[in-house]
This record gives sequence, structure tokens and C-alpha cells, in this order.
Amino acid sequence: MGFSQIALGESDYHRINSVLRAMQQELDSELVLLIHRSGQQIATDGPAQNLDLTSLSSLAAASLAATDGLAQIVGEKEFSVLFHQGRRRSIHISSLDGQFCLVLLFGERVSPGLVRWKVKKASGGLTQLLQEHQGRAATATDAKSSLAKDSACLLFTDDDIEKLFGK
Amino acid sequence: MTFINYVAREINCKIVYYGPGLGGKTTNLKYVYDITNPENKGKLISLATETERTLFFDFLPLDLGQIRGFSTRFHLYTVPGQVFYDASRKLILKGADGIVFVADSQEERLDANLESVSNLHQNLKEQGFDLARMPYVLQLNKRDLPNAMPADQLKKLLLVKGEPVFEAVATKGTGVLDTLKAIARQVLIELRKSA
Repeated sequence: MGFSQIALGESDYHRINSVLRAMQQELDSELVLLIHRSGQQIATDGPAQNLDLTSLSSLAAASLAATDGLAQIVGEKEFSVLFHQGRRRSIHISSLDGQFCLVLLFGERVSPGLVRWKVKKASGGLTQLLQEHQGRAATATDAKSSLAKDSACLLFTDDDIEKLFGK
Repeated sequence: MTFINYVAREINCKIVYYGPGLGGKTTNLKYVYDITNPENKGKLISLATETERTLFFDFLPLDLGQIRGFSTRFHLYTVPGQVFYDASRKLILKGADGIVFVADSQEERLDANLESVSNLHQNLKEQGFDLARMPYVLQLNKRDLPNAMPADQLKKLLLVKGEPVFEAVATKGTGVLDTLKAIARQVLIELRKSA
């Protein structure tokens, strides 16, 4: 293997966002953030989107990865949930399907136990959606498929690439 | 792992700066951060020890501009170079789209360079990746030091597959941007192949 990618087309983007929105509303969280384990931000919802989500994604993925390392040292497959409790805000980070993480930011009014229980309940649907997306992407060789049509936009020329670097 | 969002028209890529301890990986990122316009960069995050040695990683998100209407965002990471931080290096390598190897040109650091290249091969292999098939650039840093080995000699010893090589003095910025452009170019060409 030399190169891997996740390509998110319009329908999957909206489906994932609607699941995140429902989760955000049900949990009354300030932020729901779906990220890849490599630290890339995939989708987000909630009122706290003015935060530095790029840095948050990178650090959350790194925290979960470090926790996985700790788990292996003590003979566990993984510690699937990370919880950071602050005075006014807390962060709940959970692993989804081994490839993704779900990050929730919530205030002091929401109980951590409730968040944990509801995230567990809601994660199943999101995991299934991501698995379906990955499955479709793996078989998107048909030129008529929406992903294949989307990816035609990436057929940039050498000139396009050089222009990016101001030459 | 490149993430392409067709709705937001964004391409996000991950580049990892690898190499022996004190070789100048963090200095590369700091230079890029210093000379980039505020609107094209995010916060530079350094998880370092009290003595400014990288403990986990440095992270710098960069927006390189638009290509065919897509914003190209590169997430630059460094790994901790010290030998005993191998577990952290493996974590940071996860999902890398391209790798820059920052070699320390000083003669007494040759063994450290060779050990680090070997460690990179091994860690990629463990994750199912093959360096020979990945975007990869070699940077020979610290070319200004009196004990720097001749570049040709270093190339012979460190080249993996005929990758682009850049001589650099990262503290002054020499070669830093050329290195970054070369790896970004390779990543985009690789992305085009997958379309």
C-alpha cells in the first residue's frame, strides 16, 4: 500500500452531518466533531465551531492514539473512550470503527455519564454509515458512480500544480 | 490519508517530517510558520519538553492555495527524533501522505541518520506502507556547519529511491520551502493518479 484517501461526496456528507446534528441536539453538546484517526477533520456540528477545530482534531486523534499505545502496554486491545473533565467544559473522545474518532464538547450542565451512554447508543448508526461509505468507495470503479464523477475534478495538470507554487 | 471533501471543495493531506534528534525538523516547521501569511496558516502546536526537545509532535496546518477550485490544506507534523520515542513516531506516521527526511549533515550524526532511515522503513512496514511507493523527499540540513559531510557522500548513503534531495540550512530558511514544495508536489501528483 502506498497511498490512501477518504473522499466524501455530497450525499454522504449530508447523511453524516444529519447524524451529527441529531447527536448534537440530543446531547445538547457545544460541539460534535468527527475526525479520522490520522487527525483530519471530517465533519462537525454545534455552536462552538469558532474554536480552532484543526488543532482540536489533530490533538484529539493524537490523544486517542497515545491511549491506544498505553492500552497495548497493559495488555488491552484499546481504551475506546477518553474523557477530559474541566471546570466549565469537558471533552469526550471515543473511537469509532478503529478508523475514526468522535469528539464531543459539552458544558457543566450535562452529566458525563449521560454523554457516555448516549454516545454509545448513537455511535452504532454513525459507524454503520461510515462503513457503508468506505464500502462504496472501495468499489467506486464504475465511471458512472457519483464518486468516480467527483474524482474527475482531481485530474489537474502539471501546470495547475506549478501555479499553486507560484511558478 | 488524503481527505477530499467534494462539498466543501477541500483537499487535506498529511506530511510528516522524520529524522534523527536535533536534526532540524522543528526548525523547518518554525521557519514555514514564520514566513507564511496569517490567513494561510493555523496555530503551530509544539508538544515539547522544558528544554524544547519534541516530546510527541509539532503540528502546523497550512493552506497552500487553490487548485482547480479546491483548497489545498497540508497538515505538517514532525516526529520526536530521539531513539526512545519510537512509540510516538509510529503514532504520528499513521495516515501520512508524504514524508520529508531531515538528515543532519554533521559527520558525527551519520550513524543517527542511518538508524533513523532504517527506523522509518520499519515503522512504515509495520503499518503496511512501503517507502518506495510513497511521496518522499530527502533534506540534507545544517550545510553551513564546518563538520558537514560532503553532500554527494551523504546522498550515496541516505538515498532510498532516487528521491529529490535539497541542501538546507533550516535556521536561515535555506532549502526549507523548496523541500516543502517538492513533497507537496509529489503528494498532489500521487492524488491525481488515484483519480
